[in-house]
Amino acid sequence: MKLGWDSEHESFRSELVSFLETHAPPEALGGRDLIGTDTGDIPQWARRWQAELFDNGWMVPAYPPELGGRDADPLECLIYAEELGRRGIPRSVHFGGYAIVGPSLLEFGSEEQKALAPAAIRGDTIWCVGMSEPDAGSDLANLSTTAVLDGDSFVVNGQKVWTSYALHAEQCFCYVRTDPDAGRHKGISVLTVAMDSPGVTVRPLRHITGSAEFAEVFFDDVVVPAGNLVGELHGGWRITMGSLAHERGGLWVDGVAAAERAISDLVKLSISMGRGSDPVLRRQLTELFVEVQSLRALGYKGFASFAQGSSAPEHSYMKLASSELRQRLYETGMDIQGSFGAITDDAAAVDAGRWQHSWQVALAATIGGGTSEIQRNVVASRVLGLPRG
Amino acid sequence: MDFSLTPEQEMLRDTASALFSREFPSSLVRDACYDPVTDGASVAAAAFDRHLRPWISMGDESVVDQCLFMEEAGAAITRAPFWSASALALPLLRAVNHPDADRLADGSLTATVALAGSTGEWIANRDLTKMLVTDFGLVDIVVFVDAGGNTREPEGGSDSADTDRSHTDSGDGSAGLGGEALVWVSPAADLEARVVENLDLARPLAEVTRPAMGDHQPRMITEADLHSVLERASVVLAAEMVGTARWLKEATIEYVSTREQFGRPVGSFQGLQWKLVDASLELEKAGAAVYYAAMCLDADDPDRHRATHVAKSAAGTTARRWAKDAMQAHGGIGYTWEHDLHLYLRRANAADRLLGDSAWHMEQLALDLFESGQQHV
Repeated sequence: MKLGWDSEHESFRSELVSFLETHAPPEALGGRDLIGTDTGDIPQWARRWQAELFDNGWMVPAYPPELGGRDADPLECLIYAEELGRRGIPRSVHFGGYAIVGPSLLEFGSEEQKALAPAAIRGDTIWCVGMSEPDAGSDLANLSTTAVLDGDSFVVNGQKVWTSYALHAEQCFCYVRTDPDAGRHKGISVLTVAMDSPGVTVRPLRHITGSAEFAEVFFDDVVVPAGNLVGELHGGWRITMGSLAHERGGLWVDGVAAAERAISDLVKLSISMGRGSDPVLRRQLTELFVEVQSLRALGYKGFASFAQGSSAPEHSYMKLASSELRQRLYETGMDIQGSFGAITDDAAAVDAGRWQHSWQVALAATIGGGTSEIQRNVVASRVLGLPRG
Repeated sequence: MDFSLTPEQEMLRDTASALFSREFPSSLVRDACYDPVTDGASVAAAAFDRHLRPWISMGDESVVDQCLFMEEAGAAITRAPFWSASALALPLLRAVNHPDADRLADGSLTATVALAGSTGEWIANRDLTKMLVTDFGLVDIVVFVDAGGNTREPEGGSDSADTDRSHTDSGDGSAGLGGEALVWVSPAADLEARVVENLDLARPLAEVTRPAMGDHQPRMITEADLHSVLERASVVLAAEMVGTARWLKEATIEYVSTREQFGRPVGSFQGLQWKLVDASLELEKAGAAVYYAAMCLDADDPDRHRATHVAKSAAGTTARRWAKDAMQAHGGIGYTWEHDLHLYLRRANAADRLLGDSAWHMEQLALDLFESGQQHV
């Protein structure tokens, strides 16, 4: 056990830091949680930044250069996440393409489909991921959007919901039921669907912050070429599990870094609002500090197991812990402001409304990507080995 | 930061684990102090002599190594002055180049430190006449720490808890020593002491009347060095509490997986599962925080002060939570004298109160956080 890394990895860090310091656009340095704009489109600066990261091998460092990386090892990937997280720099404002679709196409796709991956990762093609449905949220295997093979095409019918960036996406990575008579997990497949296909309707779904990168997507007799099947027919559940793993893999550094920044800003905020001597507030912030620091240590401990190829039960805890922690942090930021804590007019609010906004954004963190309740069930059975109910 | 263990560290952990599970069954501590039998105390003392004395020298090793060892120690309740001697007295005597340090390290001497006043915090205050001392009665010598020459006079003139608090609130977590302190040693046999029953019978406490320094030859320690010694003792104690919490967790998971009510294992009920998941998450975090602090101490990293407070408060909080949740999950059987759970519940709740309880460590953190926050506003 030791605090630092070897010099080879530290020089990787220096190279990255100097790239970030000279290239990161000012819009990426706001430190504000970016969950889209009011219209749910993807701003030009974010598109340019993602492409620039890709072209310099800094988009997904573990990948080879042609996929936007530099064949980085796991420790280099961790250092990458640390440095972006510390600065609050997003690499993309839509994670579906680089974190789910690209990796899934590379792992499960045909040669033609693999060729779509670079554009997905670079952000040249905007993808949405069609997973959740009105009756398939936490219980994803209950999905009922159907695809019936008819000659050399599938015909798709059904509805997706909570589909991020669907309004502006060109392609949908869509989970469909291809065999209604097979078991719940056995009759699922994945199709890529062009969003401009006849029969696809997108209805924006504004969420609590007022922004609309969510949408409902309706499929009415949408004809999809059979060649758009990703992986094996009825073999889509494997891809589901893979996508979720991509989504969860490196999230902890970001969450912990955001929490660390928040804590030190909250201390300053409470002092500047004249509440630096309030014993209740001091205790509350100190407890949060202890949580953030312990969680950070736990993340690194999990990384040590991960880097040695063992399973890392720590990672099952990280999403649960960091999502709930962020809600508490941002709510504390509102509490410090007293009556002003409810003001959401950014021009009038303390810290330009940062805490109110982040709190609303963070409310989604315990729901999306596996609810906290599902995470607790997973830890209970898979980590603690408790008997199933 | 790299949490991976070297092969030597893995071996150390496995050796310690085997040693404690093989040589220190709970019957040993029961016979010595919970359901005393005639030769119970001498059998426990013999087990300490044979199996733990050789390990007192861990106090000279890296803090990470000592934590690995002490975590395993915490998963077994022993009646032995092991933490007092190896994590507290040895580093303190070593810091002042006291000749007894070598005798501790080679196992020929055992020691404790007069460390706690009425508030349970570290107080190196020569105005305190009664000191609460751990493991008194099990050791050969007691190490005293006196405030140095330019001590602040206590405001109000008494050694009340308020005065103690003002000495510890100096902002950097120091004991208000005015820069330096004097360390000296007295044979335990020469001291006037009264055993004070405390929650954890296996780690006895005594109220020792502070003797005059007399012709004992004091050695000077700087406030910073004393602080380092205390940080080490705190982090190692935190590791022990993590081991105690781990035992409580493992015993609970085993119990709820087999105990049936309403025709199914009680551990299959979601209400109980979530309680255990949340407590387990807290334990995992505390364990990681302890080893992070140990690494900071080994590297003398600037974050060592904060990391120590985080580790001690996180470990104490989780040990106490596990004691409570384990008892609740065990139902009636956990509330009995015959079940081992109470041995661990006692240790968890007593250990958190040594060297400053969780609340005290959090207050030290608050002082630090708000002081540095003030500079950046």
